[in-house]
Amino acid sequence: MQGPLIDTLVRQGIGRRTFLKYCATLASMMALPPAAGRAMADALAAARRPSVIWLPFQECTGCTESMTRSHSPTIEGMIFDMISLDYHETLMAAAGQQAEEALHAAMKENSGKYLLIVDGSIPLGIDGAYSCIAGRTNVDLLKEAAAGAAAIVAMGTCAAFGGIPKAKPNPTGAVAVSDIVKDKPIVNVPGCPPIPVVMTGVLAHYLTFGSLPELDDKLRPTAFYGETIHDRCYRRPFYDQGKFAKTFDDEGARKGWCLFELGCKGPVTHNACATTKWNGGTSWPVESGHGCLGCSEPDFWDAGGFYKALSMPADPLKMGAAAAVAGAAAGVAVSFANRGKKRAAQVTHETTTLADLEK
Amino acid sequence: MTATLERGLHALKEVIDAPIASYFSSCVHCGLCAEACLFYTETGDPRYTPIHKLEPLRRVYEQEYTLLGRLKKGLGLSKPVTDAELDAWQDLVYDSCTMCGRCSLVCPVGNDIVYMVRKLREGMAASGHVPDGIRNATRRTVEIGGPMGLKWPAVANVIRKVEEATGLKVPVDQAGADYLVLLSSMEIVNYPEYIEALAKIFHKAGISFTVASDAFEATNAGIQIGNSDLAKVIVSRIVDAAERLKVKRVLSPECGHAYMAIRWEGPNLIGRPYAFEVVHVLELLDELRGKGMLKMKSKIKDPLILHDPCQIVRRGGVLQAPEPLIQEVAERYIPIADKQKWNWCCGGGGGASAIHTEEAEALRAKAFQVKKRQIESTGVNTMVTFCANCRIVIEEGFDHYQMDTRLLGLTELLAEHLEE
Repeated sequence: MQGPLIDTLVRQGIGRRTFLKYCATLASMMALPPAAGRAMADALAAARRPSVIWLPFQECTGCTESMTRSHSPTIEGMIFDMISLDYHETLMAAAGQQAEEALHAAMKENSGKYLLIVDGSIPLGIDGAYSCIAGRTNVDLLKEAAAGAAAIVAMGTCAAFGGIPKAKPNPTGAVAVSDIVKDKPIVNVPGCPPIPVVMTGVLAHYLTFGSLPELDDKLRPTAFYGETIHDRCYRRPFYDQGKFAKTFDDEGARKGWCLFELGCKGPVTHNACATTKWNGGTSWPVESGHGCLGCSEPDFWDAGGFYKALSMPADPLKMGAAAAVAGAAAGVAVSFANRGKKRAAQVTHETTTLADLEK
Repeated sequence: MTATLERGLHALKEVIDAPIASYFSSCVHCGLCAEACLFYTETGDPRYTPIHKLEPLRRVYEQEYTLLGRLKKGLGLSKPVTDAELDAWQDLVYDSCTMCGRCSLVCPVGNDIVYMVRKLREGMAASGHVPDGIRNATRRTVEIGGPMGLKWPAVANVIRKVEEATGLKVPVDQAGADYLVLLSSMEIVNYPEYIEALAKIFHKAGISFTVASDAFEATNAGIQIGNSDLAKVIVSRIVDAAERLKVKRVLSPECGHAYMAIRWEGPNLIGRPYAFEVVHVLELLDELRGKGMLKMKSKIKDPLILHDPCQIVRRGGVLQAPEPLIQEVAERYIPIADKQKWNWCCGGGGGASAIHTEEAEALRAKAFQVKKRQIESTGVNTMVTFCANCRIVIEEGFDHYQMDTRLLGLTELLAEHLEE
């Protein structure tokens, strides 16, 4: 399957016209000027298969599932198929020594040019021993692979921010890719799992312009993560009107009112679910009647409960401790005041005589 | 003429302490104390709920010693304790509370309600809201020497008669004796047999004892009225005499509150431990019984029940002595349902028996119904007790209800059947 990407796509039954439309859509999604769609199509069509090494660490394979297991073949899936995926444990046929050889061969041949995709967090506890591949720790593998990479894509919330492995009490000492690799361009594509089109968007941009797309302060492509779920949510008008579902089976829920009070994290979650939707544009969590969990934000697992409204304190226990301290301090102060008062009463005691019993 | 509301409130501020604070804070308003109080069970009037009797004390505590209470007081939102209120409370704190401690026993959070009543009485006494009967008893005790106004010559006269009746010597003011024997006026006047019994038992056991001419009275009306200054004056007489005569032990008479006063309140009143030991007469008798020195020549045949005086058994802690002693002398001792620490009060303890207003006497008679039921349910004709005050109150109850029950004193009963 060598040769330009367009040839492969045509063999798969995807016409040039369809491909151009896809590129135009992709370009508009990424807020690029209309002409960029054509440039992108040209670049992508002519592109040689870029070498991609995919390293899975502490993960659940959900990110890979998201990319590859769309229920019908998609252009994203196909583009993904077309890249030269030189190492991906879950997908590759090779195993054991052969697999490791493939990895090292790819790293050597494409040194400085390959794209490194990482999914899963990296455990640092007990010297990284929580997760090893071929006898080597994840952190060791990452450092080696990162050294020769042109850029790194941290796929999914685990690789981008530590994700669920990093949730309290973080038993493995899990960290994100960006916590370890400091000298390479990194693109975070968070989400649990991330949206497939974001992946191809990043790839397309890299292949077309030879650079990574514009990133926000959390290294996420602003084209997809520039706005919150809430900004683009189709239920937003209900929020603005103050119409909220109070339970999952009340009238408000049936009428599709805002899920804010049921714990929707949309207002603080930057992701593209509300516009791209999932499963080929079928639906997305809020459309199915459930609030956003905030999966593309750091530490979403510890944000105080999926069903707790954002307006409620995320960690009331800390306030409880503070209140206890304040209460104890007030108690001590009152007790000192009381002791003083009682001592004053005792000092001014007048000994009672019989005469004092008479009114 | 110096008892004022200010002095009363000042006294309450003085006596409120950590236990009081924790008791009021932990009360869960369950009302179990009501069911434990004979004044409630016999009248059904919720006014007599023990914890309710402490309302003025609770408010002073809240307004003076709690953060919220002080804020409310500062903002003028709290209801101050007034003279009129204390006056209205007098019958709850004196007439209808014998400080029997059954409420303290049942309290699920462990509040010692009697402890609080005792403290509230400090404020009641200092503000002048005390029944005349108790005030007069206190006056007589402080001025003359005993609540009934007995002076030593009269006591000496009774002792002489005891010596004549028993043919035994009753030593007076004899230094170095083992025991200083205290008496209660009630015994001297109404039950001189008690003194005879003691003389016989001491003689039999070969124990030396003495009576002090300046400290024969064991009762302490200062505690009943609720004034620690006067109570201290009264208890100091005994302490001074006992330490002057260098006795090893001071023997409390049967009288319940006298035992509580000398044994439990005394050291706190004078602020130091005694140089002697205080024992209740039943404790001594049980000790002698254990040593085999209390042999009976005969036993009483009639079936009988025991009335355990509150201040000796429930509050005083003399829990194990009475039953073995009564079994020593009674052939058919019948244990009652609410016995020992669960016994119901006679209705006249804690100074109540000194209150002779019409209402107080009517209330006492009503409260006595519980005792009447106890006796009737067992079907016996004889009751034995060991407190002179209980005896007076129970006799009054028998009289009121025209019961033909016989009431005996335990020490006398033992002495009567003692082996010659």
